[in-house]
Amino acid sequence: MKTTDSPKTFHSSSGFELRSFYTAADIPSSHRERAQGEPGQAPYHRGWHATGYRTKPWRIFQLSGFGKPEDENARIKFLLKNGETGFIMEHDRNTADHCYNVDHPEVVARREDVGLTGAVMQSVRDIAICLDGLPVDTSFGHAGGAVVQHAPFALAGYWTVARKRGYKLREIAGTGQSDFNLTYLGCVTKQQIPTDAGLRFNADIIEFCGEHLPRWVPVSIAGYNAADTGLNPAQELGTLFANAVEYLDEMKRRGTVPIELAAKGCGGVSFRASIHIFEEAAKMRAARMMWSDLLRTRYGITDPKTANLRIHCVTAGSKMTYQQPLNNVVRGTLMALGAVMGGVQSLGVSGYDEALSIPSEHAHQMSVRIQQILQEETNVCAVTDPLGGSYYIETLTAQLAEKAWEFFDEILAQGGYLACLDSGWLHARAAENQHREFMALESGEQHVVGVTCALDDESPFEVDGFVGTDDAFDVATERLNEIRRTRHEAGACAALKKLESVCRSDANIMPAMMDALEAEVTLGEIGDVYRNVFGDWNTPIQT
Amino acid sequence: MSETQKRILMAKTGLDGHWRGPTIVARALRDAGYEVIMIGMASTDDIVRAAVDEDVDLVGLNIGGHIDVALRAVRAVQEARPGLAIFAGGTVPPHAKRQLEALGVEVYPPGSRLSDIVDAAARLTGG
Repeated sequence: MKTTDSPKTFHSSSGFELRSFYTAADIPSSHRERAQGEPGQAPYHRGWHATGYRTKPWRIFQLSGFGKPEDENARIKFLLKNGETGFIMEHDRNTADHCYNVDHPEVVARREDVGLTGAVMQSVRDIAICLDGLPVDTSFGHAGGAVVQHAPFALAGYWTVARKRGYKLREIAGTGQSDFNLTYLGCVTKQQIPTDAGLRFNADIIEFCGEHLPRWVPVSIAGYNAADTGLNPAQELGTLFANAVEYLDEMKRRGTVPIELAAKGCGGVSFRASIHIFEEAAKMRAARMMWSDLLRTRYGITDPKTANLRIHCVTAGSKMTYQQPLNNVVRGTLMALGAVMGGVQSLGVSGYDEALSIPSEHAHQMSVRIQQILQEETNVCAVTDPLGGSYYIETLTAQLAEKAWEFFDEILAQGGYLACLDSGWLHARAAENQHREFMALESGEQHVVGVTCALDDESPFEVDGFVGTDDAFDVATERLNEIRRTRHEAGACAALKKLESVCRSDANIMPAMMDALEAEVTLGEIGDVYRNVFGDWNTPIQT
Repeated sequence: MSETQKRILMAKTGLDGHWRGPTIVARALRDAGYEVIMIGMASTDDIVRAAVDEDVDLVGLNIGGHIDVALRAVRAVQEARPGLAIFAGGTVPPHAKRQLEALGVEVYPPGSRLSDIVDAAARLTGG
């Protein structure tokens, strides 16, 4: 390749100017001693355990779901058969995110959308169909309550089904996510409970799990949803920890569960693994270091089991291209490699058809295969923190943490994370970055293969968007009518009334939610209670 | 100038909250001098009402769901405002793109250049 003497500068995604090579002198002095540490030692940037993936490979954990609950069940079984080591239930977004039943006018107006990106689950009966034969006892399950107002329903539904199948709540492991970044920043829905009510819900879930579900990750803050909306890696980190302190300060105020237990409940997070793979690996290292520092300095927590951040990662969906989609297999592999070089505990790889649709069966299989090839063939599992000690990576790790704390301080100075969601400040930061990224593509400063350069495509494969089933709306309508006809109506009404009175009080909503699911109260009825009691969030952006 | 400023209605056909794409496009169109009326997640009825009431020169649809929902909105707008141009973007796989194009809708899938979208707006509004 021709050499050039042009003065082009290189930057990381977080805006650091990159040197052409690094030496020991580049590592910030504050980080030099830490860079000498070992995996399993605070502040854990080198990993959570000395033997790393040798003793515990990362969990293969793919987002999955569409159609009717039985369609989703079949896809999850397909993934498990192919080697997935946990499973995720995705609820239909039209109904779930808004807590609507399928007969809500907003849903009826878009009936063909129903079931396109997740199965419709309006009652515990639907959740039971979706979970039929799935290993809720031995596997790590994701109940699919990604959106804050939906989480209590999704969790209570999952737990109720598990209990009916004879398992004790104490035994089951999983998460429901309940993520503010998704709900209030990345995917702003048409209607949502206000952020203060959302904080109460999440605190209630943390409290309930603290008492009854020791193996459950009650809330999982998703940096992913902040990053894929536009925040850069340092901002993603700063936002995630600003979110975490909002939960932990509330738990401290309540004083109902020990702060160590609450911190453990907040310590299973997810990040985006994007395409600048060294920076992304450094981000996972910085995240563990920041969590350990945060818990020690703000809450006095040093217990390794709590101070050790557990990270799930999803490769960046927005980096997957519509054009020449098979190239995305390569992108998925590289982003996955960046994540595991950063020592994550769990990983989902976006489908190669991500820009076209939800994953086809084949795309899903490839997302699993990519991870199996990494685990079985590349030897990346042999050595923990393989990038540790690299002048470049240690420098980036320290720089990312420093810049992330600055962003964290900026958020707290404006009243905290919730205030920055309410005001739209975080949305504006994301939009600025989106615009900059697009302009870099427009100007030719940044290239994407198959999109802005290398445009010829000789692929013999046609990749078209996956469309699941066409009967999700009709079947969900029938099932809604059936449950109204066949449930014990007085019991359902009483449970709903109890839930409403609990919502109006300061009591934890989860026991009443469990009773409501048991009594076969439906999602839309619960949503109506929320809308009456809490009202709507005043969305800071037009979406 | 403001009297001749062209007006573009932008709406999302689905209940899906992803807002990156339409926000970027709206900004590019505003920067190019258009008045953009964003109504966000909107049903077919909402879109038709806004297209008529706001007397827009062009409709932009962000599609994140099933193509039949988008096609219904397109047909309804075409019936209410014959000849009004419509363009679309979003998660539009090839089979859906062909169906939209058959109704005369220009489609800009992910990876489209903003400058191409702005040029299309000029052409479609007769600018």
